[in-house]
Amino acid sequence: MAGIVVKDLYKTYKGAEEPTLKGLSFSFREGGIAGLLGPNGAGKTTTISILCGLVRADSGEVLINGLSQEATHREAIKQLIGVVPQRIALYPQLSAVENLTYFGNLYGFKGKALLQRIMELLEVFGLEKSANKEIYKYSGGMKRRANIIAAILHKPSLLVLDEPTAGVDVQSRGMILQFLRDYNSQGNSILYTSHLLEEAQSLCEEVVIMDEGQLIVQGNPKELIQSQPSCDNLEDVFLHYTGHALRD
Amino acid sequence: MLRLLATIRKEWQLLVRDKTGLILLFVMPVVLITVMALIQDAPFKDYQEVKFDILTVDNDHGRLGRSIREGLEVGGQFRIIDSLDGKLLTTEKARQLVNDGTYKISIIIPAGATGSIVSNANRIVNDISHRMGMSLSLPVKKGSDSLNVVVYFDPAAKKAFKGAIHQAIDNFLTQVETDMLLGRIRQELRSKDTTVTAASDTLPIKLQAVGLKEESTGIGQQIDVISNSVQHNVPAWSIFAMFFIVIPIAGNMIREREDGSLLRMKLIPGSYLEILAGKMLFFVGICVVQFYCMMLVGIYLMPLLDLPRLTMGSDAAATLLVAAAIGLAATSYGILIGTLFKTPNQALNFGAISIVILSAIGGIWIPLEIMPMKMQVVGRLSPLSWGLDAINDIYLRNGNIAYVWKNVLRLILTGLAMLAIAGYVEKRRMN
Repeated sequence: MAGIVVKDLYKTYKGAEEPTLKGLSFSFREGGIAGLLGPNGAGKTTTISILCGLVRADSGEVLINGLSQEATHREAIKQLIGVVPQRIALYPQLSAVENLTYFGNLYGFKGKALLQRIMELLEVFGLEKSANKEIYKYSGGMKRRANIIAAILHKPSLLVLDEPTAGVDVQSRGMILQFLRDYNSQGNSILYTSHLLEEAQSLCEEVVIMDEGQLIVQGNPKELIQSQPSCDNLEDVFLHYTGHALRD
Repeated sequence: MLRLLATIRKEWQLLVRDKTGLILLFVMPVVLITVMALIQDAPFKDYQEVKFDILTVDNDHGRLGRSIREGLEVGGQFRIIDSLDGKLLTTEKARQLVNDGTYKISIIIPAGATGSIVSNANRIVNDISHRMGMSLSLPVKKGSDSLNVVVYFDPAAKKAFKGAIHQAIDNFLTQVETDMLLGRIRQELRSKDTTVTAASDTLPIKLQAVGLKEESTGIGQQIDVISNSVQHNVPAWSIFAMFFIVIPIAGNMIREREDGSLLRMKLIPGSYLEILAGKMLFFVGICVVQFYCMMLVGIYLMPLLDLPRLTMGSDAAATLLVAAAIGLAATSYGILIGTLFKTPNQALNFGAISIVILSAIGGIWIPLEIMPMKMQVVGRLSPLSWGLDAINDIYLRNGNIAYVWKNVLRLILTGLAMLAIAGYVEKRRMN
């Protein structure tokens, strides 16, 4: 069953000269790890924003586990999705426990059950000793890990991550990627964007390469590499399809 | 309800962690109202309580001079000075001291002024007696009786001040002339009735058939509070400080948008309105606490600085309602600014400057009543003036909710309108 279906998506922001999305279509199976790749300005963030219901498409259709982004399904979709934004969407002056308690409360969780869930996740991500430390005192890698915990408090079946390993050290990156594999092995879907194509190649079973608001190519990374004799890795494939020209 | 309470707790945690922010919210306003009350104390007293020195040169040495001196001293607003360094003042010296600004006012009573008044009174009594067929001839000066009491003003003296002095001296002159005339008539009547002695003359001649009495305008008992520096500055600058809550709120909103926590909140199932309501309740609460802290300063700290004690009226519920309405308007304004502007710099600059403008035109700096008429009309559109009006209704006019409901309603509706605009702008961002 398709976990994410995007059909003929168009979006032009007010005041923009060019459309950001020009008939984008792709689909990912439920329970897989998929990568949404593209150069800067390709429309990845807009696509994710539409998937999450933060931005409305001008036309086209989006289905998440069979649910469309209509008003009647929006709350159900929010319950299904966990989003890890590229920025550290936590209050720097609050500790990890305080941040996670707040966001847990917003999901409707409270009391001992919530605290237990928070402590479990902090332990999984190696943050249990810094649980009561303010976020601004965390290292970059610790912040990234705490950022992920805030997105999975409600056990979402689809985890959307926007460059979750940007600016972190090798150890933290390894831990994050291992967590994503483990989370996926529990039957959850993962959609992630990254400019680290080596990482995407090792993690994703399927990738979409998009550029200028359109799908360029979709497939399994290994198959994509094999399909282009001149390409040795996913980065070569990416450059083959998107070119070497600089993007603004 | 959990989302609302969680948001209030989160905002509280953020506030207590931000020590500088706490100082800005609570200590700075206290410093502000104290400084403003102190520096504006003198200008307020200028109009009501300050004593003026009046140089008096009495060349007459008669009843008129005495009467003017006594009359000016009775009001308590003027201090009569007729000698300096042990020497009696001369006309020339007095003129020079006023001209160089050492003193603001000097009165020169000309020689023979009382004599002229007596002569004039005698002439009138002689005339009346003659017309009544009585033969009477009180002594009358020959030639012109027209003499002037001369007044010198500091060239920088205000028009209103000069007018008030003119009025007062004119009253004393009229009073002396009237007393003199009535005294002459009474004396003459007594001389015609030998059975009445001065001691047994119990028939006073009363001129004032209709008197003047000040009464309360309100439904309740009017509080006898002169609008002094504390009574104006404490509520006025408290409202100003409450509106400065827009700075932390707008900063908070923009930070949440920039760091993605707003996005995270919007991705969580449930209405964002509940989170917003929690945020608003918290900041309205902060505004109310700020307000009462500053009132406590007016009551307990101001008297220690030789300033008058703040009087708060007698309707505590109405005061709380007004404080909450001001807090709501201020919080909504902060949310609107935080929504409209993209960077903290834009929001903070606009927020601060707009509050200064709204406060200046809204009668916070100086009372609206003494502004030009056109400015008063503009000033009445400022939410800060509605808040101040409502507080003055309670504090100065001993008003209750019936007095303040219109201004409270204005503040609440304006707050709701600002929230609606913020909601509309935020919704447009999705498209």
